[in-house]
Amino acid sequence: MARLDSSSATHEQFAAIGRVRWQLFVNSLRTVRGRLELVARVFMFLGFGMLGLGGSIGLGLAAWYFASHHRPDFLALLFWPVFLFWQFFPVLASAFSENIDSSHLLRFPLTFRSYFLVRLAFGSLEPATAIGILWSLGIVMGITAAAPRLFFVAALALLAFAVLNILLARMVFVWVERWLAQRRTRELLGVIFFLFIVSFQLINPLILRFGKGAGSVVTHFSAQALPLQRFLPPGLAADSIASAIRSDFLRSFGGVLLQFFYAVIILWLLNLRLRAQYLGENLSEAVARTAQPAGHGSVEHPGWNIPGVPGPIAAVVEKEFHYLSRSGPMLFTFVMPVVILVIFRFGSARTGDPGGILARAADLAFPVGAAYTLLMLTNLVYNTFGGDAVGVQFFFLSPVRFRGVLLGKNLAHSLVIAIEVFLVWLGTCFLYRPPSAEIVAATLTGVVFGLIVNLAAGNLLSLYTPKKIDYGTFGRQRASGTTAVASLGIQAVTIGLCALALIAARASGRIWAATLVFVFLIILAAVAYILVLNQVDSVALKRREALIAELSRA
Amino acid sequence: MSSASASFAGPPAIATEHLTRRFGDLTAVQDVNLRVAPGQFFGFLGPNGAGKSTTIKMLTGLLAPSSGRMQILGSDFTENPVEVKRQIGVVPEGMALFGRLTGSEYLNFVGRMYGLDRFTAAKRSAELLEFMQLTDQPKSLVTDYSHGMQKKLALAAAVIHGPKVLFLDEPFEGVDAVASNTLKAMLQSMIARGATIFLTSHVLEIVERLCSHVAIIHRGQLVAQGSLEELRAGVEAQSATALLASGVTSGDLPPSGEKLTLEQIFLRIVGGTRRVDQELSWLG
Repeated sequence: MARLDSSSATHEQFAAIGRVRWQLFVNSLRTVRGRLELVARVFMFLGFGMLGLGGSIGLGLAAWYFASHHRPDFLALLFWPVFLFWQFFPVLASAFSENIDSSHLLRFPLTFRSYFLVRLAFGSLEPATAIGILWSLGIVMGITAAAPRLFFVAALALLAFAVLNILLARMVFVWVERWLAQRRTRELLGVIFFLFIVSFQLINPLILRFGKGAGSVVTHFSAQALPLQRFLPPGLAADSIASAIRSDFLRSFGGVLLQFFYAVIILWLLNLRLRAQYLGENLSEAVARTAQPAGHGSVEHPGWNIPGVPGPIAAVVEKEFHYLSRSGPMLFTFVMPVVILVIFRFGSARTGDPGGILARAADLAFPVGAAYTLLMLTNLVYNTFGGDAVGVQFFFLSPVRFRGVLLGKNLAHSLVIAIEVFLVWLGTCFLYRPPSAEIVAATLTGVVFGLIVNLAAGNLLSLYTPKKIDYGTFGRQRASGTTAVASLGIQAVTIGLCALALIAARASGRIWAATLVFVFLIILAAVAYILVLNQVDSVALKRREALIAELSRA
Repeated sequence: MSSASASFAGPPAIATEHLTRRFGDLTAVQDVNLRVAPGQFFGFLGPNGAGKSTTIKMLTGLLAPSSGRMQILGSDFTENPVEVKRQIGVVPEGMALFGRLTGSEYLNFVGRMYGLDRFTAAKRSAELLEFMQLTDQPKSLVTDYSHGMQKKLALAAAVIHGPKVLFLDEPFEGVDAVASNTLKAMLQSMIARGATIFLTSHVLEIVERLCSHVAIIHRGQLVAQGSLEELRAGVEAQSATALLASGVTSGDLPPSGEKLTLEQIFLRIVGGTRRVDQELSWLG
């Protein structure tokens, strides 16, 4: 009997996983959709390649400047954006990240070490890692160009920085996924987030209360925070190189060692989580069986009644809300527009400017938040059957036309956007100042325009390029590559148009003109939406086999 | 082999004419002419890959036929898909469940999609959950149900609107014996009330016990159709003819005292005896 030893077996398993992924890719090219996916991926590769190379050159030049002009302390300014991008991009743009589900590998005799490495290796195959590494290389080259003797130190510091980032991104993913998987931990996260938001509200009253002294409060805070950042990964990496420039090699290597120490701690936390998964952890929300007397088992809960909406469409709306409310990742997406406002507002705490990043345009806080709300639509409407998975069969079996099903889904998603926009408005009032009636009118009409365009395009792309998704898992790809590229283009055009109209109207002092433009665009978009809606039944019939096959696959 | 099905008045519950489905060069189903009378419990059998699921998918609207016609209760499926869908209930191959709903929410949803008002849908959902013994985990999501529980839920969803024709693709697969008995009783009571059931199953004992009529599909073609007695008589006659052709005189034919089981009929029709030529020596 031919059996392999442990290391050979691990090697064979890795090779087998690699081969099967390659074979899946090759097989996918047999279909038109698969070839379209390849084209989309080439575009994505070019886009990310340009971002990576452009950023790398820019960061390299900046690093060279700081290193050669005796401003090593400014290096931290380069490392922080790299760090934030590396950690946040996969969360914000999950449509572009394809993280394979490795849980099914557990049925094979995989050692924990192999499982860990597979999760780490295949999980890290995403644009953020590639771009982060490119940018780090740019910094190394910039510093080496300024001072060749620093190559070794810079390479070591950046290596530690890259390892730490890769591990941290994986660790954050698996832990957030775990917290979002169950209601209790999800609620706890919600409370923490709420407290986080509320804590920011204290900054403004503090500034107002202390009046002119507020500047010193903020300066004091900044003065305290600045040394603190040196102990965080980007600060540590920057400080290691800055110390080497000052020939303080002991401190330099200390910084590198501290980064590796952090990496070990992160590795341990990642190990904890992955081991639990390896041991067959079940994070389902199944509740314990309850003994119930016969005849008293189930309670009748009539479904939602939405005035003026036919029963089947109301049923689809209700079903969509149940799905969204049970999806940790989707709930996470929903809080992001408010987070963006907080982040913009946070700028004020560092600069002492009560307007934050939007200091000179606080009236734009509402439109900016609302525009970000529209970005949420990418996850909601462009792959609207993705979460239904095998349930999509039911829509073909039921006596409801696809037009009705999509109307229900569109209505549900429009309600979500309406609620989000209201929250953004509340956040704007709370964090900045209540927007003027003119700005509100322009923003709302702009949102309606963007919403209708996205719904129309989303309905078609949902039928043409579906992708099965799991609403319960975090950070997995939420749409096919084709959809991701197409939705990005549509979002760029709609939001770009809105921004252009609003900025031009604002500059001319006639914001109402933007509202007029948006009303005109709404009419055009509505016509397009109706045309698409009239076609969805025939498109769905034509696409039913591909749709069912794609969404029903294991 | 083919035999005429029993004659009946009015339109058949299910009728197909030259139903064909091709996938590229492969013809999965070819010229299938089915006739299922109202009130029949009809078993649709065939080996793996014979075309059973393809046929049932076409009959329920999940797959478009390449050619041919289908009528359900006298209505052409292609011309009146919505009307036909109102009359039928389906447990498809993948069960068509929405994993992130609870059982009650799912049944409510299905009921309303079939046009029931929300109170009727809720009442029937509660009754069906009770009947299927799915009430002890009211807050569990469907995705957390066992396979058998999911099957029961899918069956509950298929009948919530009181369909006249029920299509079941392997309905008893993964269902325990207790639940299986409950389901069989429910299906038989539906037949007693005039519904028609079209069922595929690999468990021939179940088909033999439940179904009055059977069709067998093999390599995409319908090779037998009729009542169990008709199929049995056909197979026995064919065996006798074969023996006579081999030189045995009619007086030497074995007495037909013992009835052939459906499994024996099936194996004789599809030629199901296969020799294991090669031993898998590495198997423990």
